[in-house]
Amino acid sequence: MPGFASSENSEDTEVKTKPALWASLAISVFLFVTSLASLIIQPGMERLAPLWQASLFVSMLLIVASYSFSKAVSLKTVPFLALDTLLCSAILYLVYSGILHEGFVIRRPLGVGASFDYSFILPLLIVFASLLCIKDAINILYDYRAKGREILVFLAVRLSAVLSLLLLGGILFIIVYKGIGVISWDFLTAPHRRLGQAGGISTAILGSLWMVLGAMVISSPLGIGAAIYLNEYSKSQRLNRIITIAVSCLNGVPSVVFGLFGLAFLVTYLGVSLLSGSIILGLINIPTIILTCQEALKSVPNSLREGSLALGATKWQTIRKVVLPSAAPGILTGVIIGVAKASGETAPIMWTAVTFTATPVQMIYGVIPNVFQPVNNLDYHLLNLIYFLGAWDVEARAWGTALVLIALVLGTNMLAIVVRNHYRKKISW
Amino acid sequence: MDWPRIKVPRKYSELSVEALLFISAIASILIMILIFYFLIHESLPAFSQLGIVSLVFGSKWHPSGDIYGLMPIIATSIIITILALFINILIGLPLAIYLAELAGSRSQAVLKPSIELLAGVPSIVYGFLGVIILVTYLQDSFDLLTGRSILAGSMLLGVMFIPRLTTICEDSLRAVPSEFKEGSLALGANHWQTLRNVTIPAASSGITAAILLNIGSIIGETMAVLLVVGNVARMASPLYDIFDQGASFTSIIAGEMGEVARGSMHYHVLFAVGFVLLIVVTIFSLIADYARIRIKRKFGGY
Repeated sequence: MPGFASSENSEDTEVKTKPALWASLAISVFLFVTSLASLIIQPGMERLAPLWQASLFVSMLLIVASYSFSKAVSLKTVPFLALDTLLCSAILYLVYSGILHEGFVIRRPLGVGASFDYSFILPLLIVFASLLCIKDAINILYDYRAKGREILVFLAVRLSAVLSLLLLGGILFIIVYKGIGVISWDFLTAPHRRLGQAGGISTAILGSLWMVLGAMVISSPLGIGAAIYLNEYSKSQRLNRIITIAVSCLNGVPSVVFGLFGLAFLVTYLGVSLLSGSIILGLINIPTIILTCQEALKSVPNSLREGSLALGATKWQTIRKVVLPSAAPGILTGVIIGVAKASGETAPIMWTAVTFTATPVQMIYGVIPNVFQPVNNLDYHLLNLIYFLGAWDVEARAWGTALVLIALVLGTNMLAIVVRNHYRKKISW
Repeated sequence: MDWPRIKVPRKYSELSVEALLFISAIASILIMILIFYFLIHESLPAFSQLGIVSLVFGSKWHPSGDIYGLMPIIATSIIITILALFINILIGLPLAIYLAELAGSRSQAVLKPSIELLAGVPSIVYGFLGVIILVTYLQDSFDLLTGRSILAGSMLLGVMFIPRLTTICEDSLRAVPSEFKEGSLALGANHWQTLRNVTIPAASSGITAAILLNIGSIIGETMAVLLVVGNVARMASPLYDIFDQGASFTSIIAGEMGEVARGSMHYHVLFAVGFVLLIVVTIFSLIADYARIRIKRKFGGY
């Protein structure tokens, strides 16, 4: 713990109590780590229980002893320590007296549908007690001053940051770990057979690609055009304001509502088809593209526009030849983010564009897909596999599909970040 | 952008380009109006035949008996949202503070893009993980009848939107002018006192905007909730029982819309649920928008 290296220079603490406090701190950290691990990976670690009891007892004794020898003793600080000691001893008493024995269970308290058993309650109590011990040890180490509180809070912040990063990283890791075994050339290029129990996901991949391509064809011109108008042409503040509000409302519309809209409007005229799906995904993407493009256009300095106008170019010539090329990386980033967003949506296309089909996308003249057919889609394929989980053995293929989907979405997002960072370094006005 | 005021010769091509751009600019307004129109149009039969009050405040949802009341759905949605937001803030805000104030420049350079990246993980993938891991875990460790519960839905949603909350909160913490912090540090306050008394209050409207945006997304998120919440539209008994199954606005629409006949009362009622959802979410995005404007006025930039 490098954060404590600075504590050496605080001479006010009595030298004698320091090692004891450090020892109790170390014990408490050990308690915290093991009990948290046992709380998360529940069965198995209760064997540590005697060790936990002993170390909690030792740590508490050390803290109380060093407190009574330290300079921090005052009427202000005593109640806090007394309360913490009381809580810790209560926990110890519960464990020692045999009230909290193996097989102890609180069955459905207050009518809720859950039971809390020994292997959940004990680690929870120990986590709590160890946190109290860490708090007291650091506070005594710094004589209950602001410096100690600062270290305490920042320790907590760092700890929760590490835990949340572990959580988020773990999510990615488990998908890659479980899915990588399924991925093969055959899995990527063959259509699924026997309701997803065999074969691959080629129809889903192709369907997703065509649908997202269609969405981008629809949303890119509209989004970029709107951003150009808002940023370069519009003179009325009020219109600008209204459009901005509409864009941020549109950005917040839940995807399932887009699905309802598509069902009521598009499916009536176009049927359940690739085209309906593309239009809906395109509409969902418009706000994202407008917002990112506006940022890009705003970052182009005015002097470029003035220079071009001074040379006699018209407004549109200036925008096309000067402003847009300068803003191109930002606009490209927006479009790429749109691709990632569109490929991750399930709810809006569930009733409007997809079926769980194994027939490949029909093509007209071998180039353009027939837009009036329903297609398969990666998200929808995964949804169906999830529904089949209990009935058939599709779990491995579901992990594989999830990995392909996540690779597609995160790969696109990463591309956007790379493009942005690359040009941010390169362009300097 | 302020264009210089000089007389530029206008041609028809220039004007037609401007007209095209104008159309694409007002497209968002048109889409918004269309969405509202179609949702109202399709849900009107439900509201007029069942009555707004008895539909919204009815406490039973039995589609097979043509009994529709939204109260169980509304109650569960509120519980899920509050719980998810609590988890979300509890984990996301410290992460944002860490990134903005404590992390070294190298770990920032790695962590910030990766967290932005994680915001893109599709909700169906979270739903899948929820079904495979979270539901089984809760079922085993709390001895539940089924792990599909309100708690599972809230946990999944809370974790899912951490990256979004963190990114926006971090940006608004960073947007606080460094003079503020330097002034506080010069007065002898330490880093934590500065953070608590100066930086966080100054960034509070940005953090509020982030939270409001997240409320909107949490209410509107569909697939993850649908898969882990059980999708049974009844009041939890007792009301605070988060280990019971439930159904949110989105999950009831997504779960039942696939099976209803077009034009039936059930179909119209599901549109009514969607309309209520749309209104709630729109209100939250309007407030968030207002909060963002206030930040701009305060600091002159996000």
